[in-house]
Amino acid sequence: MDAFLRKDNGGLEPPSAATEGQDPIGELRRLLFVPEHAQVAKLQERLDDPEIHAEDVSQVLPEAIAIRATKDRELTRAMLPTVEEAILSSVRRDPHVLVDALFPVMGPAIRKAISSALESMIESLNETLERSFTVQGLKWRWEAFRTGRPLPQVILLRTLVYRVEQVFLIHRRTGLLLQHVSSTSAGVQDADMVSGMLTAIRDFVQDSFGGNREESLDSFKVGELTIRIEQGPEAVLAAVVRGTPPPELSAVLAEAIETIHLEQAEALVKFEGDATPFERARPRLEACLKTQQRSRAERAPGAKTRRARAFLRASLVVLLIGVAVWSFFALQRGRRWGAYLERLSAEPGIAVTDSGRRNGRYYVTGLRDPLAADPAALLDSSKLGKGSVAAEWKPYQSLDSELVAARARRVLQPPGTVTLTAANGVLAARGSAPHRWIVEARSLSRAFAGVTRFDDSGLTDTDLAGIESLRKEIESQPITFDLASAELRPRDAGRLGELSRDLSRLAEAAGRVGRTVRVEVVGRGDSTGTEEVNRTISRLRAQRVASLLAAGDTRGVLFVPRGAGSSEPLRREMTDEDREINRSVTLSIGITPAPAREPSTQ
Amino acid sequence: MIQKKVCMLGAYAVGKTSLVSRFVKSLFSDKYHTTVGVKVDKKIVAVGEEQVNLLLWDIYGEDDFQKLRTSYLRGSSGYVLAVDGTRRETLEKAVILQSRAHEMLAGVPFVLMLNKADLVEKWEVDDSAVEDLVAQGWPTFRTSAKTGEGVEEAFLALARRMAGA
Repeated sequence: MDAFLRKDNGGLEPPSAATEGQDPIGELRRLLFVPEHAQVAKLQERLDDPEIHAEDVSQVLPEAIAIRATKDRELTRAMLPTVEEAILSSVRRDPHVLVDALFPVMGPAIRKAISSALESMIESLNETLERSFTVQGLKWRWEAFRTGRPLPQVILLRTLVYRVEQVFLIHRRTGLLLQHVSSTSAGVQDADMVSGMLTAIRDFVQDSFGGNREESLDSFKVGELTIRIEQGPEAVLAAVVRGTPPPELSAVLAEAIETIHLEQAEALVKFEGDATPFERARPRLEACLKTQQRSRAERAPGAKTRRARAFLRASLVVLLIGVAVWSFFALQRGRRWGAYLERLSAEPGIAVTDSGRRNGRYYVTGLRDPLAADPAALLDSSKLGKGSVAAEWKPYQSLDSELVAARARRVLQPPGTVTLTAANGVLAARGSAPHRWIVEARSLSRAFAGVTRFDDSGLTDTDLAGIESLRKEIESQPITFDLASAELRPRDAGRLGELSRDLSRLAEAAGRVGRTVRVEVVGRGDSTGTEEVNRTISRLRAQRVASLLAAGDTRGVLFVPRGAGSSEPLRREMTDEDREINRSVTLSIGITPAPAREPSTQ
Repeated sequence: MIQKKVCMLGAYAVGKTSLVSRFVKSLFSDKYHTTVGVKVDKKIVAVGEEQVNLLLWDIYGEDDFQKLRTSYLRGSSGYVLAVDGTRRETLEKAVILQSRAHEMLAGVPFVLMLNKADLVEKWEVDDSAVEDLVAQGWPTFRTSAKTGEGVEEAFLALARRMAGA
């Protein structure tokens, strides 16, 4: 065929008149194949002309590449060495071209890399400072030492704490919310509006800064929150993360959005506002929240340590409080015990011979006068508690002044008017007491241990005092007479009877204290008349009164009448009244101990 | 519940924000208008038995300083054209905005809100011009953010059209 065509090529020339009639077959062939001949000639020309060929290829090249690219990656592989070579030679020839081209990309990329590196460095530094002196910090140091890794790396590995708080599944075209999950019940805003606004912001960022469709906002930070966005063809996954999200999170999100696209491709494409089919995607979104739980689990040892530390701290505090309380009470008990012992020792009639603590109980032994204070009563007031002290007391007689006095009181049983005190072997009584008690006390006190002398100088003998006052009363009553008469006036008869009774009482009282009464009845006369007459009349007067008194009930009283004349006037005579007073009889009473009846007299 | 994205379009200061602040639920500050150029709010209307959750993209009014970001229109199921009845030029702007929206959202339903209907004495928009638009099939509502006149009806009408009812 080739030969045929080539051979025929020359025949394309207009047929000559000479050959026309000679070769009818040739003529027929010519007639039949002329159009094809022309086409073939044209084709040949195209094939032979590289320019036309290039033109042709250029027409279909983009489509061809596109078709091939959808089929496999052969094209990329084939072009790779060439592209690499091209870039290399471009750089070799003039690096500026590529630098200029890459500049807008490299700047942000470098900034991003630096800022993220700085961020983690600062974070790790903070963590280091925070953890340096904790149990956790020591643990990390140990781990770094053990594994040979640098400490910051260990800290970074162990402290990438974050929490995915919310995950939004957003329809990419409309910005409508398809699904939303949240790990916290609080603080969830209207997710549908947030979804819309998030889309708007992404659109805004892309419009303002993004070059083409594929460059979009995939992460931004708001305070502690980072919003991570993973986008698919139809839907976008936005995760709100508290803390520093690790790079793995992007992978988790990407996997989730891919799975959702795979499972719900049709629903995504046909979405017209009804989000119900995307209930199915919930578990996928929740899986993204689980990332947080896994991270929590990773942190768990730290959390455990923290909890353990908190527990330890709390226990320590409780223990310290316990010790403090116990010490306080122990101290208090010790103080009370000391005070109790001191009080016992100070107590008269108690002698502590031994004290201490045995088997958790206090004990005290010693001597105790039966008249001393009761140690049990003292224990009550010491607040030590009844059962807390074991006591053993042996009885003895204390020579302590107070005890001596107490013992004396017990034996002598003084009347209420007497105070007994003892000091330096002297038992002193003060106040007033009947004569009889005083005599008895004098006698008994000699037998008391620790008493060398009984001092009753401060003691009034009530009996003697009564006698004395009666005596004075009787002596102060003169019986007056008429002028030159020794006869009692009628009105004085009664008075004499009274005197007689008083004397009888006096004699009785005196007798009780072992004394006898002797009454000198002294008669007097006034200064008128002669002394001789006066003596006579005075003697008569005395005798008269003495006999009258002796006639009364005055047993045991000795009356001795005596006439004093006018030599012992009661008053100096100036008036008649003075003279009348001097014409009288007075009684002068002498009280003397009865001989040999009372051994001791005062 | 069905969700629909709805754009609010209109010239500067036609009262979109007032409509939004009184009749819809807001979460974000008005600051977004001037920064991002859009603020997303929501309005729930009942179409028959169905509750429709309208996510209103209140797009910052186009003016000399800022062009309409058409990317915000993407995915809208409907839009609202807001006009200030007391400023004739806002109606002209609405017509321009409609044509631009139409480029991207052909066949998407919309309503025209002639706002500030309460300021009758200052009314500038020609009735004839409005009638022309109505004749072209523009669903037109006289609304007042102040009195609430026509607002619910307009949103409901839009929701109905979007739902294809």
